[in-house]
Amino acid sequence: MKFKRQFALSLAALSASFAPAIAAVSPLDLVQPIADYKIYVQGKIDTLVKDTKAFTDAVKAGDLAKAKALYAPARVNYETIEPIAELFSDLDGAIDSRADDHEQKEKSADFTGFHRIEYGLFSQNTTDGLGPLADKLYADVTDLQKRVAGLTVPPEKAVDGAAGLLEEVASSKISGEEDRYSHTDLWDFQANIDGAQKIVALVEPLVSKEDPALIKTVNDNFATVDGILAKYKTADGFETYDKLSDADRKALAGPVTALAEDLSKLRGTLGLS
Amino acid sequence: MTAKDKPALPNATRRSILIGAVAGALAPTMATGASGGSAATAASGGSAGVTAAPESDSVHQRQPFYGEHQPGIVTPRPAAGLVASFDVLAQNRAGLERLFKTLTERTAFLMAGGTPPSLDPKFPAADSGILGPVVTPDNLTITTSLGASLFDDRFGLQGSRPRRLSRMTSFSNDALQEEFCHGDLLLQFCSNTPDTNIHALRDIVKNTPDSLLLRWKQEGSVPVRPPSPGKPKESARNFLGFRDGSANPDSGNAEMMDEIVWVQAGADEPAWTAGGSYQAVRLIRNFVERWDRTPLQEQQSIIGRDKASGAPFGGATEADVPNYAGDPQGKLTRLDAHIRLANPRDAEAQKHLILRRPFNYSNGVSKANQMDMGLLFIAYQADLERGFIAVQKRLSGEPLEEYIKPFGGGYFFALPGVRDENDYLGRALIEAAASSNTHS
Repeated sequence: MKFKRQFALSLAALSASFAPAIAAVSPLDLVQPIADYKIYVQGKIDTLVKDTKAFTDAVKAGDLAKAKALYAPARVNYETIEPIAELFSDLDGAIDSRADDHEQKEKSADFTGFHRIEYGLFSQNTTDGLGPLADKLYADVTDLQKRVAGLTVPPEKAVDGAAGLLEEVASSKISGEEDRYSHTDLWDFQANIDGAQKIVALVEPLVSKEDPALIKTVNDNFATVDGILAKYKTADGFETYDKLSDADRKALAGPVTALAEDLSKLRGTLGLS
Repeated sequence: MTAKDKPALPNATRRSILIGAVAGALAPTMATGASGGSAATAASGGSAGVTAAPESDSVHQRQPFYGEHQPGIVTPRPAAGLVASFDVLAQNRAGLERLFKTLTERTAFLMAGGTPPSLDPKFPAADSGILGPVVTPDNLTITTSLGASLFDDRFGLQGSRPRRLSRMTSFSNDALQEEFCHGDLLLQFCSNTPDTNIHALRDIVKNTPDSLLLRWKQEGSVPVRPPSPGKPKESARNFLGFRDGSANPDSGNAEMMDEIVWVQAGADEPAWTAGGSYQAVRLIRNFVERWDRTPLQEQQSIIGRDKASGAPFGGATEADVPNYAGDPQGKLTRLDAHIRLANPRDAEAQKHLILRRPFNYSNGVSKANQMDMGLLFIAYQADLERGFIAVQKRLSGEPLEEYIKPFGGGYFFALPGVRDENDYLGRALIEAAASSNTHS
């Protein structure tokens, strides 16, 4: 029953956002990929809530080493589904804003979420005073879970999410500005790429019909990026950002920018406005 | 070097010596008359032509300095702008008064142009010399405004602060960087060319060493268009490629400017502020790579206008007024389109009008190797809270936010104008503070 209702809502959203007769892809063709995407997003958020619980519990227990170890793996789930999480700008600010977004930087009272706790753990090297921030973060991701459950995913937002994730990488991950205290940027980098690849995979059969060359270029560039990131994988995750060689950073920039360009054409290719 | 290359060197050297000699011989001619110089340059060609100064009669354009209001507010915006924000170092009110008088004297000279005094060359020169021995006005205006921080106990100005002047606080999408924010005093330079603005800034910095400390500065420009006589004026485009300022009130309409821009005598403000104006300055980065990767129709619906013509949806020209009353659902123009939120074109919106005077800025490259460019936003209004602050609050959460990031600026109060040679910038403020301190 629940799925049926969701299906009907998605269909209504689809017909409203369609530009007529641009592409051969029919609005109905997108219903299944978008429904599948929502299932993917909800799965990631369920994991986010579970992993954030373990992370914030460690923070509250004062277990500094454990909290540091759980920081990056907890937030990757958020990074994979950022295009949807960002639809709730108040929560996005509370969960994932950076010190730069606040005038008093790290000292700002309204600086909360993952990066504020990251600052305490990795820069101040303590869990002292982080308890209330841990509680708030857990409450915020739980709220996100509820809100996403009730969300009709707008098809154009889902499809454009692939480009949005690459824009994230191009504007802030590639510079090492995201996780500036823990230097776990490569975790987020991979998560953004994974999230974009998921969206592309879901619409690939449709895009292939319209523009097979586009899909090939996109997949080749994903493979290049994955290949370079794989060099920095460790048993637990990734090397710190400072280990990324200058040559590899430059080698990533080309395919990332090309992906951002190509993925910005997905919506148009699928006839979405 | 190969044997083949060898003969080329002496030839090239000889040629450049010859050209150098020709250029040297021409120099006196060029100094005597612009047209003669230009003809001679064209005839000589070669490297002398490459490095000859670009020529324009507009360097002689001059704006009046004296008047009820400061220049550079309703004055038509020229191509180049610069704002420089300072901390005031003066120790007391007498020092502040001296600073105001120096600013008045320098502004009057720079806007009029002329020949700086020639000093014994054993001493540093009075002028940087970057515009040559004779300073050309080049349409320059300099506008002085004061930040809320000046109205503290240093100068006894606490009781004289304009009522709506506050320290700028963050809006939801802001990422303010302290080093690009606020200031005790802000100078806005506008002229035809960036070099004229820089000349003026260096002149003022040189003349105020003990009273002004530069805090931040930002230069900007707007694209120049060929004249189109008989056709309606077009607003300049910003770095998003859209015309910016289409809905600006007519700065030539004095009555309208009294209502929107100038603080009126008898307003609920300190009396000295009459004839001044609140100034909002914002440094707003545009994520241009991302914007350039956004479908055109998405860009247009985010802004609310046709990109090429500047017309609102359903209109034909930039000047057309969008009919939102006939589009309550936002089918034509999205309810969260930038121009619809900024100015809903209803009776209420009339109370929130501001006069915008923006420039485009370009500052090099971000840490992520992307272009750091955007808008040097400047707006004037008679009431800061009803003007910029109210409008910006309405814009909070707009879809455009994904492509822009405000990171600097501040709120200031542009002083009333200097009436004549016996008047000076800030005189009414200094006198008001002096009399209120005497009475208390």
